[in-house]
Amino acid sequence: MLLKSLDHIFWLGRYLERLDDTARLINATSHLLIDSHKDSQFSWSLLLDVLGQNGAELLSGLPASDLTVEQQVMGFLITDADSEVSIRAACTALKQNARTVRQLIPRDMWEELNSLDLFLQEHCQQLQGRQHRYRLMTEVSRRCQMVVGVLDGTMLRSDAFDLFNIGRHLERADMTTRIMDVMVLQQLQPTDIKRPRFRWTSILNALGGVESYHYYLAHQHTEVDAVDYLLTYADFPRSIAYCLHRIVASAKGLPHGAAILQRIWQLQDLLKTQSLSELTTAQLHQLIDEIQAGIIELHQVISTPKLEVPTDLSQQMSA
Amino acid sequence: MGAKIFGHYQQIDQCFDELVQADGQIRTPAAAIARFIDRHGSAELIQRQEQLNQTISAMGVCFTLYSDGNNIDRCWPLDVMPRTIPSSEWQQTSAGLKQRLAALNLFIDDLYHDQRILKEGIVPADLVLDSRNYLAPCKGISPRYGVWANICGTDLVRDGSGKFLVLEDNLRVPSGVSYMLENRTVMKRVFPELFADSFIYPVDDYPHQLWRMLASLSPRPGDVPCIVLLTPGVYNSAYFEHSFLAQQMGIELAENTDLLVQDDIVYLKTLHGLQRVDVIYRRVDDVFIDPQAFRPDSVLGIPGLIKAWAKGNVSIANAPGSGVADDKVIYAYVPQIINYYLGEQPLIDNVPTYLCLDPKQREYVLANLDQLVVKPANESGGYGILIGPRSTKEEQQQMAAAIQANPRNFIAQPTLALSTAPTLCDGVLEPRHLDLRPFILQGRDLYCTTGGLSRVALKKGSLVVNSSQGGGSKDTWIINDEV
Repeated sequence: MLLKSLDHIFWLGRYLERLDDTARLINATSHLLIDSHKDSQFSWSLLLDVLGQNGAELLSGLPASDLTVEQQVMGFLITDADSEVSIRAACTALKQNARTVRQLIPRDMWEELNSLDLFLQEHCQQLQGRQHRYRLMTEVSRRCQMVVGVLDGTMLRSDAFDLFNIGRHLERADMTTRIMDVMVLQQLQPTDIKRPRFRWTSILNALGGVESYHYYLAHQHTEVDAVDYLLTYADFPRSIAYCLHRIVASAKGLPHGAAILQRIWQLQDLLKTQSLSELTTAQLHQLIDEIQAGIIELHQVISTPKLEVPTDLSQQMSA
Repeated sequence: MGAKIFGHYQQIDQCFDELVQADGQIRTPAAAIARFIDRHGSAELIQRQEQLNQTISAMGVCFTLYSDGNNIDRCWPLDVMPRTIPSSEWQQTSAGLKQRLAALNLFIDDLYHDQRILKEGIVPADLVLDSRNYLAPCKGISPRYGVWANICGTDLVRDGSGKFLVLEDNLRVPSGVSYMLENRTVMKRVFPELFADSFIYPVDDYPHQLWRMLASLSPRPGDVPCIVLLTPGVYNSAYFEHSFLAQQMGIELAENTDLLVQDDIVYLKTLHGLQRVDVIYRRVDDVFIDPQAFRPDSVLGIPGLIKAWAKGNVSIANAPGSGVADDKVIYAYVPQIINYYLGEQPLIDNVPTYLCLDPKQREYVLANLDQLVVKPANESGGYGILIGPRSTKEEQQQMAAAIQANPRNFIAQPTLALSTAPTLCDGVLEPRHLDLRPFILQGRDLYCTTGGLSRVALKKGSLVVNSSQGGGSKDTWIINDEV
């Protein structure tokens, strides 16, 4: 595989996961909000915060319009091609990366990606009502899963396959920490007392993990909550622990596998050495921050392999 | 209903139709299609065209157009009606195509070595040596098997009598073969019953044949060769084809920045470090591939590549300099070239050609501009062509001035009554002109595709088949008639 393709195939995995996760997040949050918890501290702009935007600032900077806040947020998240967090933008980026590494991906997957792109071009042009949106997001998610399924059944087990999977799971870990950061932690009072039990299962919807959360609760000896679940329960495919396991498994054969593994061990240590239930909310905040910083570093380690090349060629290698 | 749609089909006078005889009877190889239309009616045909368009779009078969500085991906246009050719005719044709490429390669090798053909005056020396396609740095180099043009796309047309003629030889970076392959994939999905109903020769071994040919060029026989396809990049109009072929052959798709030369050895920058490259299938024009050897301003090149090639450390297909035989003036001499090197008569004739550099022929061309097709010697893609009968007086005057200024640069041919085939236009089958581009490979062995890419001029009466100028395509069925 070409050195240059590393970034493209890695990002292909990240964008595919981002597309899927964004669609799930939109649906789950919609459910949460239209359940109309009058006393809920959430508003639609929270979705923008999860995706790394400053929602309040972004919305207040808009010219006056007849659109509701919900519609404006959905514009940013779904239809707006210029918005870096929109479904459309993620899909465009996905397609561009796929085009660049077409020679590495199986024909069936290429076709799935294409039809995903066509589907979005056709259906993500205009904002529609909630019902339509729900179906649309479900379909986006479903089609993302089709791409993954086709790939799993047809792609050569190669560096490209490993990097694609690393991209997916790194993105997923990133999304999980962001959901925790914004939807869980920012809602807690920053006191120094032991953090309150957190059982807000609606949020787990965003991660497709409500049922398995109940299973988890029913099988633990100690008292646990959603935070433990999302961080450490390695059997749940959207937990940080699971994502890290998968990256380890995929990184072993890569030329810079050792450097990647070292980073992951550091992250795993963060999760292991602390007794999560004893943490104060401030400490929990700090932990999440450290995990996020670790994910960013991990990304850099993955995309900059150090290769052993005769010194006279190493300069040209990076040219 | 189906009979009606074919029954109302109005052939064009003096033109050979691929599917329908002059007396209105369906040609034998097209019988299955005629039966299909007869049984299912025209509405079904229209519906299949819809399905076909959707399939192409889902498969992402596209080509890139430059327009206003932007690159736009367009869906590849494929007509639902196939073009059929009997296998007995194709055998003759493919023998002729192989003969032609073999002779052209002997010619190119001679030009870069002893130049016997020039010394003997068969081809005028200045015609070759003054051509910008004759690359002096290639002199004395001996590519493997003495073969320079390993991949050739030869454009064939039929004259009014139905005889195949060679219109031009594309020896630089011929493109289109991916569409030949994808057309077939699409047609099989859309017309499974037709494939069950007739003996249509498959085309899908091309990527393997191409790989085999490229592997046969490796300077390190015995080892597993490292073959790369060199592309100008994702913005090139043929990028679809580059990525498609690389994917089908399982080889790397490299840009110049993925390659480097050290001690006259070419290396590929892979994830696991540098890997020695044996064969480069280049889809970049030869004058751009090495700024040290040719155009110093090239940003697509790999410095030192030509030296590595000259030393025999890497093979390049097509070899740099092979474009010297891809010149419409040289084209006029191909029958003599075949005869000179092979001692054979050409199995496929040329289209009659007037050379403007010859004063007598020039005089004739200038006097008959309204009747002739005039082509610049070194353009491709259908650019710069004057089609006499469809041109204005002003265009003819401009062409006359251009010819007089640089006669070497122009040839003229009679306006051909190109063959036609029924094509679905606004829901009705109408005759449209078409050509055929088979692909011929030469390395250790010679190979010719089974059929090729049929390109069709979708505009009524038009003779221009290029996809950049509103042309479409058809799947080409070589049908067994020798059972």
